[in-house]
Amino acid sequence: MKRRVVITACSAITPIGYKPSDIIDSLLQGRSGVKPLRDDGLLTQHIHSRVFGTVDYPIDYGFTRKDTKTMGPVAFYACQVAKDVLAASGLEQEFITSGRLGVSFSSTHGSPTVQRNIYKTFFSKLPSEFSSIGAVDYLKSMVHTTAVNITRMFGITGRVIASSTACTTSSQSIGFGYEMVKYGMQDAMICGGADEYDTTTVAVFDNLLACSVAYNDRPECTPRPFDIKRDGLVVGEGAGAVLLEEYESAKRRGATILGEVIGFGCNNNGGDLILPNLEGITTTLRLALKDADIRPEDVDFVSAHATATKMGDVIEAQAIDAVYGGKPLVTGLKSYMGHTMGSCGAIEMILTLYMMEQGFIAPTLNLESVDERCSMLNHVRTITKAQTRIAAIQNFAFGGVNTCLLIANGRNAGV
Amino acid sequence: MNRDELQEKIITILEDDFEFAHPGLTDNLRDDHGFDSIDAIELLAKIETMLGFQLARAEKEKAMSIRTINDILDYIEAIQAAHPS
Repeated sequence: MKRRVVITACSAITPIGYKPSDIIDSLLQGRSGVKPLRDDGLLTQHIHSRVFGTVDYPIDYGFTRKDTKTMGPVAFYACQVAKDVLAASGLEQEFITSGRLGVSFSSTHGSPTVQRNIYKTFFSKLPSEFSSIGAVDYLKSMVHTTAVNITRMFGITGRVIASSTACTTSSQSIGFGYEMVKYGMQDAMICGGADEYDTTTVAVFDNLLACSVAYNDRPECTPRPFDIKRDGLVVGEGAGAVLLEEYESAKRRGATILGEVIGFGCNNNGGDLILPNLEGITTTLRLALKDADIRPEDVDFVSAHATATKMGDVIEAQAIDAVYGGKPLVTGLKSYMGHTMGSCGAIEMILTLYMMEQGFIAPTLNLESVDERCSMLNHVRTITKAQTRIAAIQNFAFGGVNTCLLIANGRNAGV
Repeated sequence: MNRDELQEKIITILEDDFEFAHPGLTDNLRDDHGFDSIDAIELLAKIETMLGFQLARAEKEKAMSIRTINDILDYIEAIQAAHPS
């Protein structure tokens, strides 16, 4: 059984906005969500990179204590975007709790904020400190906390997939959710990822010399994917969720079809856990094309992973060139908000859906002088009017995991 | 701490920390206020803080039969009687 899988709702909390109109406006205005790194009273003073993709606006969650007692900050983000997609979907409550709707959602490592409070007890010999570990701290901090808080909040009884693979977390979530629906295991899936404000991730990349440090006094000027003056990635926070549904049932119930997932490629480099791998990435892009049964020239737009690290961008450019050549438009959307880690794949898909619907492609921000090793691509340098039919969203992670999602414009989903 | 003082403290905890609305002494904690196993474990931690000592495992297990606020008060009084300090 192979079924078509359409996207019928989406929502994202990003450093450049939450409401679709705010996000679209940020893209059109070239507005960055990268801000000075917030002081956490612990690690911040030791970190060289002083910038962060920041969600600094209030969010009216409206959750009750019954909802929040098992939620750390990351689950607040996750449940909010899940709530949005369910509200927008118009799905009946009977279906939501039927077991035919599942959840494929995760984060890089649960809730670091809650984990940090637990670790404090390691350094105290006071029994009162030990008992300060809350009974629900595990539920708030465990790696699948986002997925199961979503199921709990909405009474969802279908499958749960919580793929935690760092930067490919949410692109795998969407890919695995797509396969669940495509092969008839579930009729619909809420898919995505979230990550909260966390300085430990910044410290890790900082110690690997992978973080941007040259623009601490001008946060909006970094990251700079594909630019000759790029100096590394910027960690960020956020969340993204999409609702995937089987096409025929979505059409029958009159759902709005935002797009269609037509292909998913995923593999592993099978070796080094950090360095980008041209062969692994190239293979992933081709696996997605094969899954979608389309030709490279059918792809109009590539949302590149493009973290702005020195080698990562070059390897990715070589992979795009090898598979697609210089035809498709290419943008690195992390230039607007930094690397939102476990949520980046979902957020970049959602931004791509917004741009498809609006008929434009945003340029890579801060791309002033293209690194000649990346210059063979069709980089988007200014706001470009485009009727994108098919887009590729590609993401690569520590651990050697590579993903590529291919989506078609919702306008084409009925044909 | 006499029963009236205990009752006032427990009701304050249930209202402030567990968002109970108009708790009654004989209300069913689960059916009337959505009190679940997670809440029960959190409440035991608060009772330990209130009493100033840690409960033994056997004492904690006895709490699993609690159904009402009156049951909570009976439970704490029994604990206090077993720890006469």
